[in-house]
Amino acid sequence: MNTIQDLFTLMFFPGGLFVLALGMSYEWVDRKLMARVQNRVGPRWFQPYADIAKLLVKEEVIPADSNRLLFIGLPILALAGALTAALYVPLAGFDPLYSFKGDLIVALYLLSLLTVCTGLAGANTTDRFSLVGATRTLTQLFSYEAPFLLAMLGPAVVARSWQINEIIADADGQWLLIVQPVGFVVALIGLLGKLEIAPFNAPEAETEIVAGALTEYSGRGLALFRLGRHVELIVGLTMVAAFYMGGVSGLPLFVLKTLLLLLILVGIQSLVARLRIDQTVGLWWRWGVLLVLAQWLVLVIWEGVQA
Amino acid sequence: MKLDTTVPQRFVVPIGPQHPALKEPGHFEFTVDGEQVTGASVRLGYAHRGIEKATEGRNWVQNLYLLERICGICSHVHATAYCLGVERLAGVTAPPRAQAIRLLVAELERIHSHLLWLGVAAHEAGFDTLFMYSWRDRETVMDILEALTGNRVNYSANLLGGVKFDLTPELTDKIYKGLELLEERTHQYVDVVTSDATLLQRTRGVGATTREQAEELGLVGPTARASGVERDIRTEAPYAAYPDFPVQVVTATAGDLEARFVVRLQELFEAYRLIRAVLEKLPPGDLQARMPRKIKPAETVSRVEAPRGELFYFIKSNGTDQPERIKVRTPTLCNLASVCVLAIGSQLADVPMILAGVDPCFSCNDRMVTVYSGDTAHTQWTWKQLRQYGIDYYRR
Repeated sequence: MNTIQDLFTLMFFPGGLFVLALGMSYEWVDRKLMARVQNRVGPRWFQPYADIAKLLVKEEVIPADSNRLLFIGLPILALAGALTAALYVPLAGFDPLYSFKGDLIVALYLLSLLTVCTGLAGANTTDRFSLVGATRTLTQLFSYEAPFLLAMLGPAVVARSWQINEIIADADGQWLLIVQPVGFVVALIGLLGKLEIAPFNAPEAETEIVAGALTEYSGRGLALFRLGRHVELIVGLTMVAAFYMGGVSGLPLFVLKTLLLLLILVGIQSLVARLRIDQTVGLWWRWGVLLVLAQWLVLVIWEGVQA
Repeated sequence: MKLDTTVPQRFVVPIGPQHPALKEPGHFEFTVDGEQVTGASVRLGYAHRGIEKATEGRNWVQNLYLLERICGICSHVHATAYCLGVERLAGVTAPPRAQAIRLLVAELERIHSHLLWLGVAAHEAGFDTLFMYSWRDRETVMDILEALTGNRVNYSANLLGGVKFDLTPELTDKIYKGLELLEERTHQYVDVVTSDATLLQRTRGVGATTREQAEELGLVGPTARASGVERDIRTEAPYAAYPDFPVQVVTATAGDLEARFVVRLQELFEAYRLIRAVLEKLPPGDLQARMPRKIKPAETVSRVEAPRGELFYFIKSNGTDQPERIKVRTPTLCNLASVCVLAIGSQLADVPMILAGVDPCFSCNDRMVTVYSGDTAHTQWTWKQLRQYGIDYYRR
């Protein structure tokens, strides 16, 4: 009986299919809001579902000069990583399905797995757009990852725990973004970098390198990568909302807070032009890291004073 | 196909003939070292349509409609350049009212072309919101053009010896209303391109062309004016009604992409001013002068200022109702070489921006050139030989 229940939570709700469905719905919200901001009509609610369904049934062309195993395996690994990360965050307001000491680090690195897989997938082909895209993807990974991680660890330092549900319990419904505004901003902008959306969409800048690292992907592989991206969006939004916006207990609160965050993301996206990759790196290492480190210093000293 | 690893490879990023950055087919090869561009070459000819040759088999009136279709964006200036040239050959002058209406449509077309460019350039910079907004506002001027001429693209406003339509009070009102909206929006765009931090990071100092470079490379139009070269056919050799409605040439000195944005947007204000001036002082009179069917042998050069720069027509008549030769040189051809010069040393990410900065229009500048050299005999290929060449070329 327990096995069946475990399987259900893993495969259907709140893990597995539910995350995928939620991811696609949020993708639609993102696209629709973006379109409305830009004075366009935007897609109808089922468009992301239709896109994925279409890609899944499409023929997948595997380039002759790439490693077949990697070409097929990388998207699966990427989606699996993102879906596994989803198990450690309070999805839809429920407690995380699995929890152990240090699961924050595991969840964050499972999310990065998607980016690493994208980079490897690009480097796996000899397509020139893919190669440039892969270089950019990995360069970007190294620029936003450290500040993003540090920003996520801010609440952890205060809670003196690296376990996601303990951090949320410690905050006890307080909005940490008031006391750690820098961490919140860096986490939010780090999310933009993680999801490769404007202004950090240099790795897939269509006017320069077509579709970046994923240029050679056509059918199922592309669908899986995109699903992975959708799940990443959900997990990222959930984490930031849970840590910085006083937890996400209950479905209505979860939806409200994550959509609010998404609205902010759309606002940023629509107001900026694309940064060049060197500008992205400069921005993160010159500002992001320094600001977060400064906040860390304040937090550590404050903790020391209190102890 | 496996890469040959024994030979040192140059990493070439091809842009085109099919590429999302290009709205028309052209082929650019950029050799890159990481993100740095170290070499650039351009290959054109993917949209060659043989229009120049086709004009020789059509009469003067038919050619008007053919030549207007050289460019989908600046169709009116092509027709104007042709009409002015042919009228000069025939010794006919179009009435003042017709000349003023030609100017009016030309300036409306400039507005639509510059707004279109603003959107394309913003899209290349990844600033899609500006792209969508500028194209939305461009609809205003497209609606005006449609109301005036009945067409959104190939307006067909010109006739040999005049224009086809007259202005009514309702149309004048519509234009005034549209201009009011556009002027307000243009102020907003000038504000955005000169103050938006992320856009400035992509435009300020990028693709900077000095005045000397601009003159050396023979740049024309807004691209040259952004580098401080005061070159504008509307003031240097005024045509149509431009002698009566003088143009204030807009220039900038920086020569970078920001300057090109600013020059094109400031030219919009100039266009609004000119259109209002024409509407206020529209000369009365006829719309068309009588044209002869045949034109005695002569040749002439006709130059006009297209939205992208100087448009050059050479027209030769031979006493029949058909031209002997028509040669068209479009502004893109003059500007395109600068892309290859400016791209070297810049970031790969800036290349589409630099390319868009000259406002390229490929299909109008594709030509076929036969080079006669001393040692090879000039041969003409049959269709069969040409087909075989194509098969062999792609089999390699």
